[in-house]
Amino acid sequence: MNESNSMTPKPEISKAGEFLTEHVVTVFETMLSVQVAPLKKSSAESLEERVTGTAGFGGEGVRGVLYLHLSTTTANRFAAIMLGLADDVAPADGDVNDVIGEMTNMLTGGLKSWLTNSGFPCAISTPGIIRGTSYVIDSPPEVESQKLVFESAAGPVAVEIQMQFD
Amino acid sequence: MATKILSVDDSRTIRLIVGRAFGPFDCQLFEAANGEEGLAAATREKPDLIVLDVTMPVMDGVTMLIKLKEDPSLKNIPVIMLTAESGHENVAQIGKLGARDYLVKPFKEQQLIERAGRIIPLQKKATA
Repeated sequence: MNESNSMTPKPEISKAGEFLTEHVVTVFETMLSVQVAPLKKSSAESLEERVTGTAGFGGEGVRGVLYLHLSTTTANRFAAIMLGLADDVAPADGDVNDVIGEMTNMLTGGLKSWLTNSGFPCAISTPGIIRGTSYVIDSPPEVESQKLVFESAAGPVAVEIQMQFD
Repeated sequence: MATKILSVDDSRTIRLIVGRAFGPFDCQLFEAANGEEGLAAATREKPDLIVLDVTMPVMDGVTMLIKLKEDPSLKNIPVIMLTAESGHENVAQIGKLGARDYLVKPFKEQQLIERAGRIIPLQKKATA
């Protein structure tokens, strides 16, 4: 049994970000055959009409949330690719939600494995979807956060993690 | 007679991907959106293989696997688990509970077919 305790050194969120950067590239390449490349500067705020996948994780000594932010246009494109739709067929919103939810689940599952291997075993929630315009997700000061932004042929992809260690 | 495959996943996308993977083969696909529906479908259809997600609402895949193994009429149906979690403990738990194999998401359709082909015979559909 892999147990965390007060002696387990807290992993730096930048290390989680490094892991997730590689994992995002793998997930998009494997499931969508889409290349995503990390960018230095965040541009998630510029996404106006947005689809956000979200999943929580929590366990012994750690809890947090992962968000996958996409513009509606980009989310629709990714869903069409995953579902094998023709270029001129628009996916239904419910199908887009399902695809983005599943991508979020895969990203959070990878992060869960990384945290568990770092001495912080945890469980993940089933994913949810937020849709809206120009919203900002904030967190209390004690919560560490990191935003990773990628470019792809279908538009920008942003992944945000918020984590708190006891 | 077509090979019966039961896909149990709360994501319609994953069920679609599983169906697409087995599409070129002489298979009949059945679907369920959670473990509870999956158990009912398994009892009704007696599939040759179950492709089972771990994280689902209502009844998760681990609970469904335990219930399958407790039922004498279902316990011999081979199960491939799909999981987004690659951690050693998670994989070990799946093995201990009696799953024949597991696949970590993300996965390619070909990987699923290779794993399934090691457990059940898969015949390509005859072309007209």
